[in-house]
Amino acid sequence: MIERERYGSRGRGPASLDRAARGGPGPLLFATAVVLLAAGPIALALTDPYMRAQPTALLVSTAAGALAVAALALQPLLATWATGRRRLRAHQTLGAVTLGLVLVHVGALFAVEVDDTLFAMSPDGPTRARMALIALLALLGVVALGALRARLPMARTTWRIVHAYLATLALGLGMGHAVLTDGALDGAGTPLLVGYGALGLAGVGLAHGLRRRRTTHP
Amino acid sequence: MTVPKHDEPRHPWVLRATLTLITVGVAVLLATSDPSGSDAENVGFAAGEGELAPVVDALAPPRSADEDPAAAQSPEPAPRNCEATASNAGGDNNYIPGAPELDDLGDGFVITGRVRSAGGCRALEGIPVRVWLATQTGTERDNRATVLTGPDGVFSLETDPTIPQFGEPNIHVGYDGDRYETVFVRRVVDLDDEKAVVNLTLAEDR
Repeated sequence: MIERERYGSRGRGPASLDRAARGGPGPLLFATAVVLLAAGPIALALTDPYMRAQPTALLVSTAAGALAVAALALQPLLATWATGRRRLRAHQTLGAVTLGLVLVHVGALFAVEVDDTLFAMSPDGPTRARMALIALLALLGVVALGALRARLPMARTTWRIVHAYLATLALGLGMGHAVLTDGALDGAGTPLLVGYGALGLAGVGLAHGLRRRRTTHP
Repeated sequence: MTVPKHDEPRHPWVLRATLTLITVGVAVLLATSDPSGSDAENVGFAAGEGELAPVVDALAPPRSADEDPAAAQSPEPAPRNCEATASNAGGDNNYIPGAPELDDLGDGFVITGRVRSAGGCRALEGIPVRVWLATQTGTERDNRATVLTGPDGVFSLETDPTIPQFGEPNIHVGYDGDRYETVFVRRVVDLDDEKAVVNLTLAEDR
């Protein structure tokens, strides 16, 4: 019963779903998608003229932020496929990696300038920083929900709604933060970010809808 | 086919209320924030634009009745006191005391302003003004200088073009001498601006 709850209620056990996952193009397709989605923001960020003469820590922070943008866009789409144990694990792993990238992004900013980082995170900080802070809290919530799913005394529908809600918050505010930030992802980066945001939000809607359908119409 | 009961929340209204509350909270947090940080006024201009703060000597006399009947009926006297500039949050970020007196920090961007006294609105000559900012050639810690005001209270420093510092180009200007109260301000400009005007009105040290 527990396995049925975790992997869907279509009458197929995790073993059969794993077989389906292994047989499909999932891992290769998503690896390619990760590379393609990451290539744009990374190339824009690291070739940005404003990055010249900047400390290495800022390059690391910018690169981690750009990678996190791609991972955030892809993660909800990965959720739509996360029906087998392996795919579910891939979704959870990418979620943890996304959180790790965001933490590297913030941690490297501390290495660049402690004063400016603390100011940005303070109540006096600019809107874009406040968006980032809320997005980070939402991302922590999403990852914690994913990691503790089996242990939380929470109805499945409640879990799904809260998970999707926090993912939407993290995605929307994270992309908003990137769009409002001058520098590495300006110019061509803005439509790219908006596109990634739309892709991610569409993914959240799709994943949520599919899960609901699988639950109510097995 | 109906969903098993344990799949649905026992109290759906609690979930709805919680998510609504979070959404409203986030909206309030964003709506009450300042786009560039607290009191970080945009002081950027194209070359040749931007006004220096007036001083008592430079204030225009009341306009005549022909020019402005309303002004003639209740002519405003020239102000004798000006509001002192207040430090704002982040104003002293990355400040390193003892910046060297330099003629410039590169070229392509001008930071200027007038320094005057709060008492009397007089132009202050010989005031050491601290300036630091991130430019295309270095960080805020690399690009710092002290520049003295002239007889008209005006200071001017040319630097390399600004770059975003934590998401937006910042200019820091301050005074930390003995005669007046210390003040540090953080202002912002746009990336295509060529000039920043940062006026300081200093309060006498008590």
